[in-house]
Amino acid sequence: MEKNSSLRLVRRSPWLFHFNSGGCNGCDIEVVASLTPKYDVERLGAILTSSPKHADILVVTGPVTRQTLGSLRMIYDQIPEPKVVLAIGTCACSGGVFRGGYNVIGGVDKVLKNVICIPGCPPNPRMIYSIIKKFYENQLGGADENGSSKPEKE
Amino acid sequence: MGAVSLKRNDSSSVLTVFPESLPETVRAVISSYPHLVGITATHVANSIELIYSFDNWKGEMKHLLVSLPEKGAAVESISSQIRGAYIYEMEIRDMFGVSFIGHPLPNAKLLLPESYPQGAPPPLLKTVSLEQLMQILNEVQMQEPPSSVIPITGSSRYSVESIVILPFGPYHPALKEPEHFAIALEGEKIVEARPRIGYVHRGIEKLAETRSFLQTLFLVERVCGICSFHHSWTYTLAVENLLGISPNKKAEFLRTLVAELERIHSHSLWIGLLGYWVGFDSMFMWLWSARERIMKLLEMIAGNRVNKSFITIGGVRYDVSDEKLKVVKREISEFEKEFRRITEEVMSYGPLEERTRGIGIYHADTAISSGAVGPVLRATGVPYDIRKVEPYGAYPEVSFDVVTGNRGDVLTIAEVRVKETFESIGIIQQLVEKMPSGNPVPSAFFMGTSKDGEAFARTEPPRGELYYYIRGKVGMRNPYRVKIRTPTLPNLVLASEAIKGYTLSDVPLILTMIDPCFSCEDRAIVYINRKEPFIVKLPRAAPQGIGLGCSL
Ligand code: SF4
Repeated sequence: MEKNSSLRLVRRSPWLFHFNSGGCNGCDIEVVASLTPKYDVERLGAILTSSPKHADILVVTGPVTRQTLGSLRMIYDQIPEPKVVLAIGTCACSGGVFRGGYNVIGGVDKVLKNVICIPGCPPNPRMIYSIIKKFYENQLGGADENGSSKPEKE
Repeated sequence: MGAVSLKRNDSSSVLTVFPESLPETVRAVISSYPHLVGITATHVANSIELIYSFDNWKGEMKHLLVSLPEKGAAVESISSQIRGAYIYEMEIRDMFGVSFIGHPLPNAKLLLPESYPQGAPPPLLKTVSLEQLMQILNEVQMQEPPSSVIPITGSSRYSVESIVILPFGPYHPALKEPEHFAIALEGEKIVEARPRIGYVHRGIEKLAETRSFLQTLFLVERVCGICSFHHSWTYTLAVENLLGISPNKKAEFLRTLVAELERIHSHSLWIGLLGYWVGFDSMFMWLWSARERIMKLLEMIAGNRVNKSFITIGGVRYDVSDEKLKVVKREISEFEKEFRRITEEVMSYGPLEERTRGIGIYHADTAISSGAVGPVLRATGVPYDIRKVEPYGAYPEVSFDVVTGNRGDVLTIAEVRVKETFESIGIIQQLVEKMPSGNPVPSAFFMGTSKDGEAFARTEPPRGELYYYIRGKVGMRNPYRVKIRTPTLPNLVLASEAIKGYTLSDVPLILTMIDPCFSCEDRAIVYINRKEPFIVKLPRAAPQGIGLGCSL
């Protein structure tokens, strides 16, 4: 995909809103770990914000459960355009090990569009850092017609 | 040892009780066995079997067996005798449809999603399959798009004039995991807090019944991403006991090593977050950067930082070489220096002490009747630690102290966790010194079938006693029943007691002092019937505005 600054997925210094849609806490802790000194995504201007209205990226961890679905939609709607959904962890990508559970709907892409998936159980904070860096450097392509986008190969 | 089979013919530990005489038997039992470990329900043939397990603080357990007919199963609630029982009873009511007479929240459900239809069969009954459940729930979901209104938990008996009910969560900046509390406020003072969990309920206990013993190991590891190793270890202990497998000594040592590393990372994580909650961000950053040293060790030993998949039935999956053990030894003493410097500095910092001393005070009696476990219980002076009372792994071979405090509040709990971290460092040093030789990796992964029988196992994860119960049926590849009782469930009962009388600004501190892990307890779900009359009615839109995106 062409790297065109008018096509930026998000502006520089991407702000994140973290949403646990039913995960085991492993991914959540790694997201928090990526904020702390060793990885420090804050040096890219990324902040974990408390309000979806200030966020550019919705970070979703865990499979979407029936109970969180309503809140997920509500929070997604509150994030201003342009917005991107970052599914962190195998669960958020596909339902992972919990796929088939009666209360589990599946991955985030089942309910939201424009989902960028980072698999891993959980992905290493280094990985989370490198993806945020790609946002910062605008190295991620836009969404294709199916509404899903994948990180480009370096 | 950490895992024991349930011998039903041994009357000294197992008592069969008629449902009618349960309350009086419980009354007699708790005088000498005051700690309710959990209530396990299993659906067998045409009945629902309940096992009430008690402990006398010394690792001796007493189990009461009550058998109820499947149709119209009902039994007296024991929550008037042990407060913490109410939350276990709610779980069983949800998952098995058993009704508890005299329960404080008679129509409330605890763990199922809001969309779970009233007439649908309870999910853990053997008569309903996973596919049928999926079908029922998918149909409901198609008909009714999910409501975006957060339910207010339960009814309230307060009048509108003096009391405000404030929804806290499910997505709140102070909570890293979804969880909803309905907090009743009088002015700024909290008069009541009602939890509503179930946002991260994934139905693990039902899934486990459809997967093989080995697959379930990976499933239960993901009950919780912080004490993941303890979950897989406790499960493995129970399975090994059921099948009569025993790992060699080196495997025991390596398991203990990883478990203690996990305790250190979990405790430094919580102490760091304590700094975050009181607004002391440097403390948060220091502790989390020190913690990275431990994460690196875990990655080196197991190949992954969080869900380590290090253990397997009969041993561990990888051996750890002597060179790696040398690295562990070196890094752990570096960590000790760093951790000592940081904690000495932050714990003696006046404002931190002022902010946490005397916040969320509770007494040993409250903790015991709530069924609380782990550092939260030990902070009140009860030296209950499964590593000591029912030693497992390599704990009999190392020396360490059980850390206790003399009063329950946020500061004491923090001190207990700091001291426990130092004890863990000591244990790791001893383990590396005494590491036996041998091959800890079994020649093949366990792919066999089960025997008839039942077994349970207990361990001491960072948050407190974890209890697994496993039942096997001969010739089956998968467990017949896996019951998990996580430490956060009883601790949550305690936190909602301890919060009363404090102000709104203390809410994040008190709710998180138990180091809650909602993904642990949410294997089953809580749901309170919305038809229950609310005396205080909130406008439907109100929770949205308050609950989300604005910090209290
Ligand atoms: S991907 Fe793994 S670590 Fe992340 S929520 Fe799922 S089970 Fe937990």
